[in-house]
Amino acid sequence: MTFHITRRDFLKSSAAASSLFLVSGCTADLQKPVWMESYVNPPEETLPSENFWFASTCRMCPAGCGVIAKVSNGRVRKLEGNPEHPLNRGRLCARGQAGLQELYHPDRVQQALKRSGDRSQDQWTPLSWEQAIGDLAAGLQDVDPDRVAFLTGYLPHYQSELVGRFMKGLGTQPPVIYDAQAAFDGRVTLAAASQRLFDTPALPVFDISQADVVFGFGADFLETWLSPVAYSQRYGDMRGQVGKRGYFAAFGPRLSMTAASADRWLPTPPGTEGLAALALGKIIVDEGLDRGGDAIDYQALYQDVDVDAIAEIVEIPVDELTQLARTFAAATQPVALPGGMLSGHANGLDAVKAVAALNMLVGAGEEGGMKLTPEPPSRDLRRAPVSSFADVQALTARMANGDVDTLFVLGANPVYELPAALGFADALASVKNVVVFATLMTETAQVADLILPAHTYLETWGYEFVDPGFGEMTVSAQQPVVQPLYDTRDPGDALLALANAMDGDVVKRLPWPNLVNFIQTRLTSLQLLDGNFTASDTDTFWAAWLQHGGWWSQEAAWTPPTPGEGFGKALAATPPRFAGDAGERPFHLIPIPSVIFGDGRHAGLPWLQEAPDPMTTASWDTWVEINPVTAQQLGVANNDLVTIAADGGEITAIVYLYHGIRPDAVAVPVGQGHEALGRWASQRGANVLSILAPQTDDASGQLAWLDTRVQVTKAEGRRVLPALESNLGVERFRQQSL
Amino acid sequence: MTETTHRWTMAIDLDRCTGCQACVVACHAENNVPVVGEDEVRMGRAMHWLHIERYWVGEYPNIQARFIPMMCQQCENAPCEPVCPVFATYHSQVEDLNIQVYNRCIGTRYCANNCPYIARTFNWFNPEFPEPLNEQLNPDVTVRKRGIMEKCTFCIQRIHDAEHVAEIEGRPVQDGDVQPACAQSCPTNAIVFGDLNDPNSRISQLAGSRRSSRLLEELGTEPSVIYLSGGDAHVS
Repeated sequence: MTFHITRRDFLKSSAAASSLFLVSGCTADLQKPVWMESYVNPPEETLPSENFWFASTCRMCPAGCGVIAKVSNGRVRKLEGNPEHPLNRGRLCARGQAGLQELYHPDRVQQALKRSGDRSQDQWTPLSWEQAIGDLAAGLQDVDPDRVAFLTGYLPHYQSELVGRFMKGLGTQPPVIYDAQAAFDGRVTLAAASQRLFDTPALPVFDISQADVVFGFGADFLETWLSPVAYSQRYGDMRGQVGKRGYFAAFGPRLSMTAASADRWLPTPPGTEGLAALALGKIIVDEGLDRGGDAIDYQALYQDVDVDAIAEIVEIPVDELTQLARTFAAATQPVALPGGMLSGHANGLDAVKAVAALNMLVGAGEEGGMKLTPEPPSRDLRRAPVSSFADVQALTARMANGDVDTLFVLGANPVYELPAALGFADALASVKNVVVFATLMTETAQVADLILPAHTYLETWGYEFVDPGFGEMTVSAQQPVVQPLYDTRDPGDALLALANAMDGDVVKRLPWPNLVNFIQTRLTSLQLLDGNFTASDTDTFWAAWLQHGGWWSQEAAWTPPTPGEGFGKALAATPPRFAGDAGERPFHLIPIPSVIFGDGRHAGLPWLQEAPDPMTTASWDTWVEINPVTAQQLGVANNDLVTIAADGGEITAIVYLYHGIRPDAVAVPVGQGHEALGRWASQRGANVLSILAPQTDDASGQLAWLDTRVQVTKAEGRRVLPALESNLGVERFRQQSL
Repeated sequence: MTETTHRWTMAIDLDRCTGCQACVVACHAENNVPVVGEDEVRMGRAMHWLHIERYWVGEYPNIQARFIPMMCQQCENAPCEPVCPVFATYHSQVEDLNIQVYNRCIGTRYCANNCPYIARTFNWFNPEFPEPLNEQLNPDVTVRKRGIMEKCTFCIQRIHDAEHVAEIEGRPVQDGDVQPACAQSCPTNAIVFGDLNDPNSRISQLAGSRRSSRLLEELGTEPSVIYLSGGDAHVS
């Protein structure tokens, strides 16, 4: 008789035998049971080739959409919108889809780097986190806190809070919060307008899903403005309403991607969109069509508005303005959008106020589409507002004067995104110690003395109070969906460690042992509120919060705007003011916030580099959109190179004849022209932000990024724009000369 | 395998489409579509399985732009199929879809020449995914090599997945179970996917809309993609 054992039985018995055995040795210490883990058992939450889904928050722009990440074999493979999330309802934009490549970019900064030569040389010495934090702590101990500065972008909420506390702990000025995206969104101007008109800095939100008429004033709400996926969702709803189809008219000098979806485009001269809104409001009041209630004296509000004069400026005849005004006033739910483009002019605040007033005029206060984002439910979830451009100018001046010894930079790339004429790069030379947190080597990191490698958003924890919020009050959850790839840390965690390593008051402001602990304390106030789930204790709350991808209220929490004292003052018809001599520089320069790259920070990702621009179908390069009539006058054709010269510098771009732009303006997309940011972005195209005039709207302090005048001249040579248009097919070899 | 009872169909509402490119990038991510780089794009070799065509209508200042997302139309009567000498592209009875079998393809490119929608793309070079970028690859989709023709599959891996799950749960595939990557991502809900043989599905309702039409119908290709035209403004 033979002993019969199958392969399966053998594996079973050997697994049982190996799972627990006693190590017998000479000393008693070693006589402990040792558990041996089979290699067959995968780590927690990993089953070979099974997909796991983790909910988190997209950080590719500040909107705060919910994502779910498909993870297999311990690696994230795909990002989708979180269907439960009230902001994006399962949808995601091109940038959101490309988030994977932030994580898997081959040029990530993988460890802390200290400069070994001077700043002109690209020489770095790797060092450990312990050493980097230790050095920093020792260095900060001795300096005058007033000589430390922190510049951040519009950060994820939790990081913003930690940076603020860090600076408070040092006993110095709060961080300067500024990036190009925040400027494009017009956050400063919108908050200032709300403050003046509604006595609150809350950002306005516009519910266009039920609207029958939408007027967009410089509003690229389907591309980059504040919360493009949320607005796109509501736009789809607006078009697909049962029994009616919302009508959309766009005012602005360029037919943007958003304006291309409009039923009507009104090519108003740059900076006059707000004036058009004023004229429409005046006509509605004069014809007695207003229904905004008695709280506001509309006659007085519009007393300084001269419709005839404005009609001439905005190049829309009075008849047509009247027609538009009547259409708007007759609608059941009309909505007027004060887009980010308004805030890019020196008359930005007045323009936003004019559009807000237009909403109030037709009853936005009660049933209309204009709402205000609610206050967070507790002080713990408030955040510091975006700084004005004036604050950035002040910081630059401090640096240039030699008043800053240590500058921290996080979530911003000032060397790339600030106008060169501001002189930030030169001012950096006077700062002894520049510390930059980075995932990829940015232009600013290139001139740093210490680079601290940061987690990408897919590797770390966080939360975001969604602002502007649509309907439900939403606190979105962020969690790591993979193990960190490299020796990186969340900048927030690094600040906690730094505070711990320092003596003094800093640690009192940052007493938490780690980021998770900090985040949990921020969320305690939510546990008592009625939301998308109920949790009796902190652990249950935390688990449900991660599972659902955040907490949101059951009911819509946005509030109708109630008129404040600001409505007692007449609206001002402020004309635009441009930088540059009109004779010498005859064209208005329109930088296009990119639906693909945002403010340029995502230009390093190959999916986005290759994604065609919606309007031109071009990729990988920088073009300038010129009206065909203007191009003829300039003697340039498609694929010619031109020089675009402003007072603050010049760039070269490829000519693209664009039918949807005024003849007195040229438009250049934002995003290219990087000198760093990895292999796919560096040394490619031109950076239009660098030649902008550092002019501000004096009323709000916001950068007037649309106010630069330029001259356009033909340059030597041609370069074929890489585009899909007229270029698709199996294989169409082009003539070498083309 | 038996013949399918499904008639997979996609509808694209051009009144909702804003041209935003979310679907394009979602398709790259889901289907391991290579990025070819600046010079190749210039030569017309971009490999988007789904691209958005933009058309100008009128002249300044009365100008409009129109977007049409374009991908393999999964023709019932596909011009690409009969010209393939090795049956790499053929009509599958199992899924009732136009299938590209990568390991049969010898790269004659006849199919692409014959496609009136310009929906097929060719791998002129081996795709590159410098480490760790290879971690982004979807394990459910083959990575193609040099010399292979490829195109939109209606995310066939997702169709199979939904069928598999339905089988395990002992129920038929329901409307909404299958969502291609483009439809799932679309911020304005412009893309709807479903089974035309299910009279209650959303796609069946949209197919009956007076706004619906198919591209180049006169060629007799019988495409499985329905386009819903833009609506008329109700005010002037």
